[in-house]
Amino acid sequence: MKNVIEVKNLTKEYKGVKAVDNLTFTVKNGEILGLLGPNGSGKTTTINSILSILKYNQGSIKIMGEEMTPDNSKLKSQIGVVFQDVAVFDELNVIDNVDYFCGLYIKDKKIRKEYVLDALKLVGLENYKKYYPKQLSGGLLRRLNIACGIAHKPKIIFFDEPTVAVDPQSRNNILEGIQKLRESGATIIYTTHYMEEVEILCDRIIILDKGVILASGTSEELKELANIDEKITVEGIEVKTTLLDKIKANKNVDEVHMQMNALIVTYKKGKNNLVDLMDLLKQTKVKYASIYSEKPTLNDVFLSLTGKELRD
Amino acid sequence: MLFKTFWKVVSKYKGTIILYTVMLICFGGINMAANNNTMGFSDVKPPIAIVNEDDSVIANNLVNYLKDKSTIKDIDNNYLDDALFYRDISYIIYIPSEYGKSVFTENPKTIEVKSSGDYKSTLASNILLAYLKVQDVYKDDYRGDELIDKINSNLDKSANIKIKSKLDTTSVSNASNYYSFASYSIIAVILFIICLVMCSFNEKNVRRRTIISSINLSSYNMSLLGASLLYGFVVFVLFNILALVLVGDIMFSLRGLVYVINSFVFTIVTICLSLLLSTLVKNKNAISGIVNVVALGSAFLCGAFVPASMLPNSVLKFAHILPAYYYINTNDLLKSIEEINYVNLEPIFKNMFILVLFILLFIILNNIISRLLRKRNS
Amino acid sequence: MFFHNFIYSLKVLLGNKTLIFWSFAFPIVLGFLFNLAFKDIEKNESFNTFDIAIIESPQFSDDVFYKEAYKSLSNGDDRIFNITMTNKDDAEKMLADKEITGYLEFLDSVSITVNQSGIYETILRFVVDEIESNKKMISTLVKDKLQTAKPNEVANIIEGIKDKVINGNATVIDKTRDNMSYTMIEYYTLIAMSALYGGVISMYIINLKLANMGSVGKRTAVAAIKKGTLIISSLLASYLVQLVEIALIFIFTVFVLHVDYGNEIGFVILTSLVGSLAGLALGVLVATLFKTNENAKIGILIAITMLGCFLSGMMGITMKYIVDTYAPFVNMINPASLITDAFYALYYYGVNNRFIQDILSLIIISALMIILSWRGLRRQKYDAV
Repeated sequence: MKNVIEVKNLTKEYKGVKAVDNLTFTVKNGEILGLLGPNGSGKTTTINSILSILKYNQGSIKIMGEEMTPDNSKLKSQIGVVFQDVAVFDELNVIDNVDYFCGLYIKDKKIRKEYVLDALKLVGLENYKKYYPKQLSGGLLRRLNIACGIAHKPKIIFFDEPTVAVDPQSRNNILEGIQKLRESGATIIYTTHYMEEVEILCDRIIILDKGVILASGTSEELKELANIDEKITVEGIEVKTTLLDKIKANKNVDEVHMQMNALIVTYKKGKNNLVDLMDLLKQTKVKYASIYSEKPTLNDVFLSLTGKELRD
Repeated sequence: MLFKTFWKVVSKYKGTIILYTVMLICFGGINMAANNNTMGFSDVKPPIAIVNEDDSVIANNLVNYLKDKSTIKDIDNNYLDDALFYRDISYIIYIPSEYGKSVFTENPKTIEVKSSGDYKSTLASNILLAYLKVQDVYKDDYRGDELIDKINSNLDKSANIKIKSKLDTTSVSNASNYYSFASYSIIAVILFIICLVMCSFNEKNVRRRTIISSINLSSYNMSLLGASLLYGFVVFVLFNILALVLVGDIMFSLRGLVYVINSFVFTIVTICLSLLLSTLVKNKNAISGIVNVVALGSAFLCGAFVPASMLPNSVLKFAHILPAYYYINTNDLLKSIEEINYVNLEPIFKNMFILVLFILLFIILNNIISRLLRKRNS
Repeated sequence: MFFHNFIYSLKVLLGNKTLIFWSFAFPIVLGFLFNLAFKDIEKNESFNTFDIAIIESPQFSDDVFYKEAYKSLSNGDDRIFNITMTNKDDAEKMLADKEITGYLEFLDSVSITVNQSGIYETILRFVVDEIESNKKMISTLVKDKLQTAKPNEVANIIEGIKDKVINGNATVIDKTRDNMSYTMIEYYTLIAMSALYGGVISMYIINLKLANMGSVGKRTAVAAIKKGTLIISSLLASYLVQLVEIALIFIFTVFVLHVDYGNEIGFVILTSLVGSLAGLALGVLVATLFKTNENAKIGILIAITMLGCFLSGMMGITMKYIVDTYAPFVNMINPASLITDAFYALYYYGVNNRFIQDILSLIIISALMIILSWRGLRRQKYDAV
């Protein structure tokens, strides 16, 4: 796969604080890259630098092998951006907003009309064409924001936290839309601090904190890093200390702790952990309400990398 | 706590606040300085200009006479028309060349004039025509020095005039004009700043938070009033310091004290009006428009820029519903009161009483309206 | 692309009801207030008949000359004052109550009593002096002429002298220009203010194009369109909206307030066009030069406008003359004053050098403001967004 974006040694300081520190990464053609990190980790700064609206202290940025500059309209026409803040005109209705931004790229009126309708359909706003932004709910407004950013059918699309403060229905709609965009061949850079979204959506993930890349890879690769493989939760259980000692005797067990009246056991690599635990419980005749096994989440990864929760 | 939030918002707009405060206070000062050297009512010699192209004895004697009876301004000939238009002078007299010689001929040359059309120009015209009439009458019977002597002795006597009032009208009317103009600056600056800050403060999310916090509404309004009073007080002090600098002596008299008290009461009225307006106006874009309309409107209608005596009666009647009217009326009364005593101050006390009523009215309205708005929002 | 952005900029501006309403309503309301306040001012400043009292005394009632002279001054439409004949106590009371400007008392000589020194008091004294002067002329001439006169001519000579003194009138030629109404300046400052206040419109549209002023600016910044095209077409839309507003305000001042702009309609329109351009440039300058939030920018723009209007005479017409006389440089760079002065020049003088100078200065100042903004407008990369 060809590299669509190459970022090398990108550094940006704000008032003596490094927002992005010597960042190097690539984005491959046709993939969805997730930039994951808490607020203030440098995600938006990175995107703004790539887009060339922000001055950076050092580093180089190439898109499709070309140096990105504010005047490179050939590259710019290939790019679509969905900013974190809703970027629409309050004075224009839904269809005019999309048409305006699309019109900055597409001159032909007939094609533009088609594109605008496609975009509205993609985000599910066909029935709100004549609504003004003030009349839309938060979720619908976010969808309009997306439609404005992608209507010109760009090859590379940046999504900067498009799902912040969005109701579940709109969130699903947005995530589905992004999938569809990828299916139609676009390369997507997606930033968020919601791990679930990244897990579902992204082919590759970069975890950022304080402007530095902590880890990168597929979701599975990252979880490997965390050195845990499985998490088993037993609910509605009465625990005796002898039981805990017995559980800890298994060499695969990483940690055992109680949360409310649930027992949580995390395992390093190993097989048949669930069966072993159920057998043990059966032998010791301990009663419980339910038991289930989970694969570790990115939250667990982040926790083990930084020692802090991803969501603040 | 609220106080702190208020000042946080204030510091966000500190540039704007300083800009407006300094600018509007300067308006008062510049206006005062500018109008100081122009004519007032008390200036009894009409300001005129003479363009004399004749160096004859006849012409020069006329000029000397005019010098005595009017104020001759030395203005470049190119700017005479401007000066006349802006009433810097009320009358221009053009004496043509050879005028002195032609007076004694069959076809004497005529003096040309331009007039601003106000009462000073009427006076100037009377002065000129009176002289010319004497000259006309005597020129047939006398010549040379004798003619000049006759003219001058005929005109030199002046009726005995007794003036009842002993008040130094110039400096008092300067003080009154300063304080009346200040009504515009005070309204404009306090209204703009308080509305701007309050609007940020009232913005929905901040508002919701302060309502949830258990402070009751009237004590909430009271603390906003406190913060606004503090700002208003600063403005009040600045204006009065400037008054001291510009007007001087009068400010240390009983009369000066009345000016100060009057402006103090008016500042409080303005603060309460600002709080009321900031409750009513939610849109930041509208603030500057509304503030300008209220400030300039009440200044024009109540006589801050144009003396109230020059305003049509219908306008003055309407102005009675505006607080600035009573404030300016007090300043005008102070201009003509000869002695500060109880009896003379009665109408001034009445004006201040009405201003206090305005304060109460604005506070009550503000409470009622914010209560209603809160009910509607929740 | 140019046309696309132009049309949508128009839509955006016209869609912002608060912005449009206030930049339009504010001048209209002010103009209306001006009209109320200034309707009578020039009439009040012109000479009005005033009231005086004369105290009954034999010195007055027995003197035919006095009686005739004062009678003629208090009769007819062009009379100077109304006379009440009364006794001294009543006259004192009337003076104290300000019913009369002053009273005259004829004893050995005439004496005038007034409340204060003022213009009407001065006119009164002057009229009295003039009557005394006439009286003296008659007595002087009679004395000189009768020395050589034959007895049978005496009556004729005296009549001749009296006729000459009483009916003789000196004449002067009045060359006053037609347009002397100085309150027009107020309305000209109003137009100047509207033109500059129009800067909020250009500022609004420019703020939407600046990546550091909001997300819409960022989105347009990443679009594949030349920034120059974007800015120029947006400003053109802003200018159009400003011109429509100023035209409406103009129509209002002419047809409702009966403001007189003189006879050079074409040049009056030119002045409005150039004035609006200055407003546009000012808006752009404030939008790009000051790195602060939108409200503060509006505050700065309005402060500049009000300062300019103050110096061009909005809060007191003499201010403009004072600044023109003592600090002409200030008004040469003050767009509000240049606009006002251009209208004034057209009204009072017609098209002359002064008008041309005003218009040229306005164009130069507008151009300078645009040039100063140019760097900020063309900036594509920011230190912070």
